[in-house]
Amino acid sequence: ACDDGEIVIKFSHVTNTDRHPKGIAASLLQQRVNDEMNGKACMEVFPNSTLYNDDQVLEAMLQGDVQLAAPSLSKFEQFTKQFRIFDLPFMFKNIDAVDEFQTSETGQAMKESMTRRGLLGLQFWHNGMKQMSANKPLIEPTDANGLKFRVQNSDVLKAQMAALGGSPQPMAFSEVYGALQTGVVDGQENTWSNIYGQKFFEVQDGTTETNHGIIDYLVVTNVDWWESLDADVREQLGTILREVTEARNAESTKVNEEAKQAIIDAGGTVRTLTPEQRAMWVDAMKPVWEQFKDDVGQDNIDAAQAINAKH
Amino acid sequence: MEVAILFAMVVGLMLIGVPIAVALGFSSTIFLLVLSDTSLASIAQSFFQAMAGHYTLLAIPFFILASSFMSTGGVARRIIRFSIAIVGHFPGGLAIAGVFACMLFAALSGSSPATVVAIGSIVIAGMRQVGYSKDFAAGVIANAGTLGILIPPSIVMVVYASATDVSVGRMFLAGVIPGLMAGTMLMLTIYIIAKMRDLPKGEWRGWSEVFESGAEAGWGLFLIVIILGGIYGGIFTPTEAAAVAAIYAFFIATFVYRDMGPLSRPEGERNLSLMQKPIALVTAFFHRDTRDTLFEAGKLTITLMFIIANALILKHVLTDEQIPQSIAAAMLDAGFGPVMFLIIVNVILLIGGQFMEPSGLIVIVAPLVFPIAIELGIDPIHLGIIMVVNMEIGMITPPVGLNLFVTSGVAGMPMMRVVRAALPFLAVLFVFLIMVTYIPILSTWLPTTFMGPEIITK
Amino acid sequence: MSGRYEPDTILGRAVNEIEETAIAVLLGLMTIITFINVVLRYGFNTGLIWGLEATTFLFAWLVLFGVSYAVKVTANLGVDALINVFSPSVRRVLALVAGAVCVAYAALLLKGAWDYWANFANFPQTTGRWFPTGFEEMKRTSYRGWYEVVDIPMPEMLRWIEPIMNEGEHYEKIPRFIPYFMLPFGMALLLFRFLQATWRIWTGQAQSLIVSHEAEDAVEDVAHMNRGD
Ligand code: NA
Ligand code: NA
Repeated sequence: ACDDGEIVIKFSHVTNTDRHPKGIAASLLQQRVNDEMNGKACMEVFPNSTLYNDDQVLEAMLQGDVQLAAPSLSKFEQFTKQFRIFDLPFMFKNIDAVDEFQTSETGQAMKESMTRRGLLGLQFWHNGMKQMSANKPLIEPTDANGLKFRVQNSDVLKAQMAALGGSPQPMAFSEVYGALQTGVVDGQENTWSNIYGQKFFEVQDGTTETNHGIIDYLVVTNVDWWESLDADVREQLGTILREVTEARNAESTKVNEEAKQAIIDAGGTVRTLTPEQRAMWVDAMKPVWEQFKDDVGQDNIDAAQAINAKH
Repeated sequence: MEVAILFAMVVGLMLIGVPIAVALGFSSTIFLLVLSDTSLASIAQSFFQAMAGHYTLLAIPFFILASSFMSTGGVARRIIRFSIAIVGHFPGGLAIAGVFACMLFAALSGSSPATVVAIGSIVIAGMRQVGYSKDFAAGVIANAGTLGILIPPSIVMVVYASATDVSVGRMFLAGVIPGLMAGTMLMLTIYIIAKMRDLPKGEWRGWSEVFESGAEAGWGLFLIVIILGGIYGGIFTPTEAAAVAAIYAFFIATFVYRDMGPLSRPEGERNLSLMQKPIALVTAFFHRDTRDTLFEAGKLTITLMFIIANALILKHVLTDEQIPQSIAAAMLDAGFGPVMFLIIVNVILLIGGQFMEPSGLIVIVAPLVFPIAIELGIDPIHLGIIMVVNMEIGMITPPVGLNLFVTSGVAGMPMMRVVRAALPFLAVLFVFLIMVTYIPILSTWLPTTFMGPEIITK
Repeated sequence: MSGRYEPDTILGRAVNEIEETAIAVLLGLMTIITFINVVLRYGFNTGLIWGLEATTFLFAWLVLFGVSYAVKVTANLGVDALINVFSPSVRRVLALVAGAVCVAYAALLLKGAWDYWANFANFPQTTGRWFPTGFEEMKRTSYRGWYEVVDIPMPEMLRWIEPIMNEGEHYEKIPRFIPYFMLPFGMALLLFRFLQATWRIWTGQAQSLIVSHEAEDAVEDVAHMNRGD
């Protein structure tokens, strides 16, 4: 518990504390803040959606009832539609390109783009590149035709599945395993670490290494609260957060590669695409860009593509 | 310390006649106002999100509605006739048929009191006619009715699953074997008592009666196939299953059995066929019976959800103040192992069950003990089944036992007499609770076989 | 379980009819939307993408609107084991205390509900920790009229609110203040009904705030059920 006089920093998130990339990062942050800022500040982490889920936490943050959260990037599309760029399929070649975009001026500006609505983005946290799985082999985009896919609640992702001729289905995360197993939905898209952590591979024919999109998180805070902090506290907290971010983001590729290997070791099927096959997926999904071009901004897309070309 | 005051306040307010929901919500609000800086708006947010943010709780109104249509629409009556045709000729036959009918109805309905009302109202009168004592009949039904929450579908399991984020489908599967076991144990007990006391048995009416009553009840029983087949056949999720069940029950009650709705006629007259009144296909949706059934189910949903929503407010406040963590830490420091821990959980639930309604109790206790159980390596599904069996016992023990209230009403007996009547069979449930607590495979075998081991991640 | 509430005035009957029908309609809509989505998904490989969210909002409305009705007809569950031990005069005092607690509860919840809803509708929250002492000054982050729900699309016929609530900006989804409105509305009704109920106890027209003879209701249900052929 926190001592009297310490600034209480509540951090609410939705994963476990020791296996998920976000949970690990939050635990590390908690540990360092409570060690290094003892007497000044105190962090309480609420994992596993025990306090709020990702939809409620932003409301609670605007209300001032929680100070830190790290929802997935698609949750911010309601605050500013620019964030749709992270959901657009094949926008980023790999996680290094994502990283470079996020640390570029464009990415930094996006963190501050929500201040008029009360939120300030502090750091991007990686989970990793998304893969696609289904109850039948997915080799060419036509294989996804007529399949029901569970997607996150995002217009872009719904449009992406529709572009494949699939049917997007919103569904509570806790119901997904059962729904995949019984066939209520046929497939889903996720990072290796999520597919392994949720054991989705057990109830799917296989997972195709598409790397077609990303799942990342943004650590956010209430802008009024952030500005109310003493400058030295704000600076120290910001520094710790940045160091934790750099340390954990550097591990993200390794975490996902390990998860992928663990899936293979557990008897799961992982399929890779030839360059020609991958090009077919790109052709099938990229038209979605056109649909959301105005939301995202052509200059943002250009910036992302310029970075992509380097990787 | 603060948490002891909080719980004392909840119990104290309940005992002076404050509605359970308000006792929970008011105490939590005061607790929050005194101990934290968290806003009152967060209480309102919890209240709203109890419904809008807990997708799995949606199963509650749907299962209640399905039960209402089945009770109003004559499904229960036909199931009993079928049960009697099958097992009515054994010693204690009608009582065994009553348990069997409760098990069948439990497989349709998610609620225990609904099971008692649906089956008990008919079976108790029937048992008295063939010479059973009223007490014996009431005791049997009050106990067998508790199977309503153990045999899937189950409202209490839905509440547990949403409080702890385990899978509803898994919980349902886990309830099957314990449910069949508990039912069998009750039937065996009746058989033995019947042999010893030479209780009346019915006549064997031949296979024709079995088939005829089976065909009559078939429409209702087919709902079991629809629910389980639909869930495990990939047509719908457990939550949606409840909505499908409600729609199906509405159609069966209105257009097949025609005991309610535009085709229904007063007692003694033949109900109309759809051919005689095809317009019923439209008017059924607006018929007074339909509206009344929807309204009654809605009202029960509201009173139940008012309690659950306020219990979720309590849960939110406890979490906000990090109470479960400190209790868990204290228990771990004290060096409790899984065996001791499960005894403590059972005692807490049994005591709580004396005073509280199951769904409310589960939402309070589950978040408290769940993290500790995980820490001790107890399977969350196993823990859930233990809780459900405790809730069953709570339903037939005074002072608050929904099945006691309902049975005393249905049988026209004072509550304390029902309590005494239920006692011998309560002993059976106690033995059953001990078995379920210390033989985890009873609960975990089926879900693990069909769905793989439970993973506790997000 | 069926209540036996009989309003005694024409207005009372009309209000009662509206309340009961609203409860029936909300539950009916929830069920039908969910069912249609199953049919669309399994039969036609499609679905109402907004169906799930709409159902959960209807569920919230059902309960938030319905709790005041439950108070009106004294349908809330409670424990009457202890109060039945006391003499009528002691019981009356306890019932009045219970009524005061309920009124305080509803008042606190109403303040919380207003504070939660207000910013979504570009209104100020109240000041004061537990008792509303006035209205807050609006800050830049107090305007949340732009905040949309996740899935339910904005109907064209509601576009006229855009200039008022969203600085003329286009809503893709309905704004949150619409579904959330039931929160302060329901809590205001709840406060009103608890005040009424406490008044009934004060004047001796009622003895308690909780359903006492559940058994009687159940019997009535049974009679209802045994009707028909
Ligand atoms: Na059941
Ligand atoms: Na009890």
